[in-house]
Amino acid sequence: MMQLWDVEVKSRKIEIVLILAVFLASLPLILNYGLLILSSFSTEMVTNLDPTSFRPTIDNWILLFEGRLSVTGGVREDVVRYTINTAIVALGVAGVVVLVSVMAGYAMSRMNFKGRSLIMQMILLLHAFPGVALIIAVYLIFRATLPSDIELARIYSFAYVIVARAALEIPMSIWLIKGFFDRVPWEVEWAAIIDGASRLRVWREVMLPMVKPGIAAIAIFAFLAGWEDLIYVRTFLFDRTLATYIESNINVEFAYMPLLAAAGTLYLLPTILFFILTQRLLLETSTGGIKG
Amino acid sequence: MVSVRLEKVTKKFGKVVAVNNVDLEIEEGEFMALLGPSGSGKSTLLYLIAGIYKPTSGKIFFDDRDVTNLPPRERNVGLVFQNYALYPHMKVFDNIAFPLKIKKVPKEEIRRKVFEVAKLLRIEHLLDRYPGQLSGGQQQRVAIARALVKEPQVLLLDEPLSNLDALLRVSVRSELKRLQKNLGITAIYVTHDQAEAMALADRIAIINEGVIQQVDLPEVVYNRPKNMFVGGFIGNPPMNFVEAGVEYNETVKLIVGEDSVWLPQEYIEILRKLKLQKVVLGFRPEDVLVLKDERQVEPGSSVIRGEIFTVEPMGREVLLTVMIGETMVKVYAPPTQYYSMGDKVFLQINPAKLRLFDPDTTIALEYLVKT
Ligand SMILES: Nc1ncnc2c1ncn2[C@@H]1O[C@H](COP(=O)(O)OP(=O)(O)OP(=O)(O)O)[C@@H](O)[C@H]1O
Ligand SMILES: [Mg+2]
Repeated sequence: MMQLWDVEVKSRKIEIVLILAVFLASLPLILNYGLLILSSFSTEMVTNLDPTSFRPTIDNWILLFEGRLSVTGGVREDVVRYTINTAIVALGVAGVVVLVSVMAGYAMSRMNFKGRSLIMQMILLLHAFPGVALIIAVYLIFRATLPSDIELARIYSFAYVIVARAALEIPMSIWLIKGFFDRVPWEVEWAAIIDGASRLRVWREVMLPMVKPGIAAIAIFAFLAGWEDLIYVRTFLFDRTLATYIESNINVEFAYMPLLAAAGTLYLLPTILFFILTQRLLLETSTGGIKG
Repeated sequence: MVSVRLEKVTKKFGKVVAVNNVDLEIEEGEFMALLGPSGSGKSTLLYLIAGIYKPTSGKIFFDDRDVTNLPPRERNVGLVFQNYALYPHMKVFDNIAFPLKIKKVPKEEIRRKVFEVAKLLRIEHLLDRYPGQLSGGQQQRVAIARALVKEPQVLLLDEPLSNLDALLRVSVRSELKRLQKNLGITAIYVTHDQAEAMALADRIAIINEGVIQQVDLPEVVYNRPKNMFVGGFIGNPPMNFVEAGVEYNETVKLIVGEDSVWLPQEYIEILRKLKLQKVVLGFRPEDVLVLKDERQVEPGSSVIRGEIFTVEPMGREVLLTVMIGETMVKVYAPPTQYYSMGDKVFLQINPAKLRLFDPDTTIALEYLVKT
């Protein structure tokens, strides 16, 4: 009994130390984001760490959605439209990534074909390739395939950026989801086959529900990748997204900084939301385990 | 219902031969127990019959239909997996209903059948739970229910009761047997527990290293094991083996140390035919009379001298470990006597029950002359 008590005390101490360490390590990040969010509700930037400069207001947010870039200036920007564009790209990337990875991951995990491990290694290599390195080739293809009709080209640019950006995410997603499929015991699949289900039905009704946490994880990662992307969006998309909007205004002279802070907060919102809502899920993903 | 027949079935995984040239026939409506040590190929054999694995060579028949290349869903078998293999994302009800749903059975009928089989296995109060919320024994019963609900032609059970407590196990297994007989399902039942096999099975098949050792009625497997492996595997504790010389004179007798053992007429004739100089004497722990005093030995009967090594009281009897020369044997003795370590004892083996084996091939002598 004594010993048990001892161990418990020890582990609690270690836990406190660990939490403290993690907190300290993430302090600069928390501070930065905190200041950004605070600034978006203030008349002045609070980044100088002077609490007296903080005067609460929600004008910045109102101005933002009115599409004004500065308090006085006449430049109009359709931020609602940009937000929708960003969402289209993000959802598109998530959709394509999930569709391709779930099928490919299942094949990699369950089907035995020649060159499987070679393909898996190649996928890993692909992941190591930075997206920027590929962009010239990807751009050339884009130019060559771009429709001449301007409206069509606009739509095409959406599709193109979605597929191109998804392609960057897919390798890692396949690896991740393959791990989830690997952990489903063969016997469960066999049981369904013996029960009379076709391979497709087994995949849909037995395998997919069992890797749900994995699907959610890759969907979230892909969504955030699409949401946050700057380079691909700026290169290919005719329209603007939140990222390109902020990036192109950050060094404009008349830009009103607290307003940009509001834009930045808006841009951050899904990331923060997802991480809060899915903390448990992501933890499960990293420690890996589908509970029976 | 159907009979199941395996013809020269071999299954290799790379270099591992999991099932080796198996010939086996399970009759229509028969309850066959498949017994063997871990890694002997029991599960693989079931998977071959279910159609999950294709044999490397050989054929499988249901009645006269060659099913060797038929996919599992066209075989109508029920399989209870060793690790249950329940669908974790479905409630117990949906787990059991799954095979019926795929067969497009009407909803009302599904409900009726699921409740019926759940009641049978005493899991009707668990239908609303997920498998993760059940104990091992409860999961096992759900797995059995799922296999039974589709009324399969062949029921394959891979150690289905290993996680039930002793009481539940006895009641579920007699329920299972009754059900199997009522429905007339042909069943193959894998188990480690030979008492279970003896109690349930019409016939027992014993497998070792992928090779079928013997297929017979339970009492034949027990009383006339085909080889030393079967004798040494069945029974708790299993059969004892003692090396013995053979003396051929006007009669034929065994020599164990300084003692002689008289043989029944059957074995005298077999030995005269085979002319072996050495045999292995096999006898079961309960087929021995343990005498503490040489004067108790009836004249004309034969005894083997030994020394008590350990004494384990078991309630109804005492299990003695006795050293005969360098060989250890286990025998049951009545608890009316007092035994202690180091005591000299005389073992009088029931001559009708003793078995002789060829030391080279390990095959029982009577099976050697038959073939
Ligand atoms: N998929 C596989 N790949 C390679 N080897 C396998 C495979 N399945 C089984 N084996 C091997 O085949 C042999 C028989 O295995 P099997 O699972 O049939 O044994 P078992 O009698 O069911 O054992 P247990 O009582 O432990 O369940 C073992 O040596 C095992 O390692
Ligand atoms: Mg097994």
